[in-house]
Amino acid sequence: MIDLNNQYTLMKRKIDTAVVRNFFNDTLVEEADRLPIEIIPKDRVPSRCCIYKERALVRYRILTLLGVDLENDDDEFKPTSRYVSEVIEHSEPKLPLLTTITSGCYGCPKDQYRISDACRGCFARPCMANCPKNAIVFLNGQAHIQEDRCIRCGKCMEVCPFHAVVHIPVPCEEACPVGAIKKNEQGYVEVDHSKCIGCGKCVRSCPFGAIAERSELFHVLKMLKRKEKVTAMIAPAIEGQFPGSLGQIKSALKEAGFTDVFEVAEGAEVTSIKEGEELVEKMKEGNGYMTTSCCSSYMELIPKHLPFLKERYSSTLSPMAYSAQICKKKDPEAKTVFIGPCLAKRVEAARYDEIDGVITFAELAAIFMALDIDVNKMPDADMGNVDSFKDCREYAISGGVAGCVLNRIDNPESVRIMKIDGLDKKTVRLMSTWPKRAPEADLVEVMVCQGGCIAGPGTIVKPQVALRLREQLHKAK
Amino acid sequence: MKKSKVKVRICLGTACFVQGGADLLLYNDFLDPEILAECEIEGCSCLEKCKVGGGQAPFVEINGTIYDGVDQEKFVKLLEEAVRA
Repeated sequence: MIDLNNQYTLMKRKIDTAVVRNFFNDTLVEEADRLPIEIIPKDRVPSRCCIYKERALVRYRILTLLGVDLENDDDEFKPTSRYVSEVIEHSEPKLPLLTTITSGCYGCPKDQYRISDACRGCFARPCMANCPKNAIVFLNGQAHIQEDRCIRCGKCMEVCPFHAVVHIPVPCEEACPVGAIKKNEQGYVEVDHSKCIGCGKCVRSCPFGAIAERSELFHVLKMLKRKEKVTAMIAPAIEGQFPGSLGQIKSALKEAGFTDVFEVAEGAEVTSIKEGEELVEKMKEGNGYMTTSCCSSYMELIPKHLPFLKERYSSTLSPMAYSAQICKKKDPEAKTVFIGPCLAKRVEAARYDEIDGVITFAELAAIFMALDIDVNKMPDADMGNVDSFKDCREYAISGGVAGCVLNRIDNPESVRIMKIDGLDKKTVRLMSTWPKRAPEADLVEVMVCQGGCIAGPGTIVKPQVALRLREQLHKAK
Repeated sequence: MKKSKVKVRICLGTACFVQGGADLLLYNDFLDPEILAECEIEGCSCLEKCKVGGGQAPFVEINGTIYDGVDQEKFVKLLEEAVRA
């Protein structure tokens, strides 16, 4: 994945904020068609071929924020304002999760290894000696790769003493752990929804921003605008995403129009207890390992790619699901909105009637910015009695889920833990060998994002920053 | 006479924070220790610069002067200049 700090992220935040601000000011319909021009003024030095293409892409970003499915409903004759008024009337369906912006896609050529000018044509020639397909030839004293023979194994790159071999990947394809990205006949990106596990790695990896999330933000914005009762269910990863404590974030959410704030860590406590009970039971039966089940993307991976794990994952529900149950019990009238770092959570949420909406931290930031809410200046609201589930705030970090489960069973030292910390092609291959070679563990904690939810596709800050801030907040208490 | 330390305030307003300001908080990791020793760095509440318009977040105040669009690279450069001045 590319670094979070890049022009695309900044541009997206700018667009999101402008759209949300206009929505709250009731000016979005009349402004919608002007926004691309305001955001990309004519004196801008473009980073695409011209400002007109940049403006066209801004329009597409607005559409994806509205939730429009560009793959099926990309009407270039239809003004953005018409899309806006339609979405304000009745919301778009929430799935499929991702959509592609074809005109944004560069159409990257197939991934390749290439030998650069740094090649000295050395005497040892380890590239040639190690190439399993004899694909390397020397021309004019420099190595060259014969495309038709190359199998893209990368051995030459590993062995070159001058680092003269470069790998030019297709970022989206490289990032996708399950091969759900394909190219259409014209060479542009398409997402195979039957394979996609919603991890969002491709969204975060494309340097052209050609794969986008069909946002659910407008479902939620409309609730806020109508002044409905809405409970914000905040994921444990939220700590460290904004400049302030959980109490200040709570105040900020209330200022933004949410009527109540619920920590999903409280639902995580239920998950931990039940998963602990199940683990003890399974260990007694002696049938081998059990995996966690709280990562929504992992739960998509199982039926789509690793069906044998159906018998292995814990039947316990996710913290989000339990949180929604608790919230609906407390107040059946209030809508529930999960605010997290995750895109796959939206796929999971679609299965539950108790969850009325899912947005990301980045989208929440757009709401705060649009309403000029400064988290840092908010009063530190009381989070209530958190003693029983305080440790569950660590669900956001790799190792945290297993830790919380162990905290709630007898003899935790007898449990062997294995962590799947981040999913890539290699890990999927490893996991596919488990029927033959079971992992030597009782509890396997699976997190699709490396480092845990704090590295999710909907986060605002880099994981290192989030960790640093969480540390500071814990010290301050 | 011993030179007084360079006073640095990083804006922690939500807009600055989410548009790259948060990265500056890793200053312990990316600043040259020699420069770091000459600076007093703290986060501060919104510098109100974004509200007047002009300039791009994130904002940073160094010895009373406010700079805009400060990424890690610019931050390093500005502090080096301030320390040498």
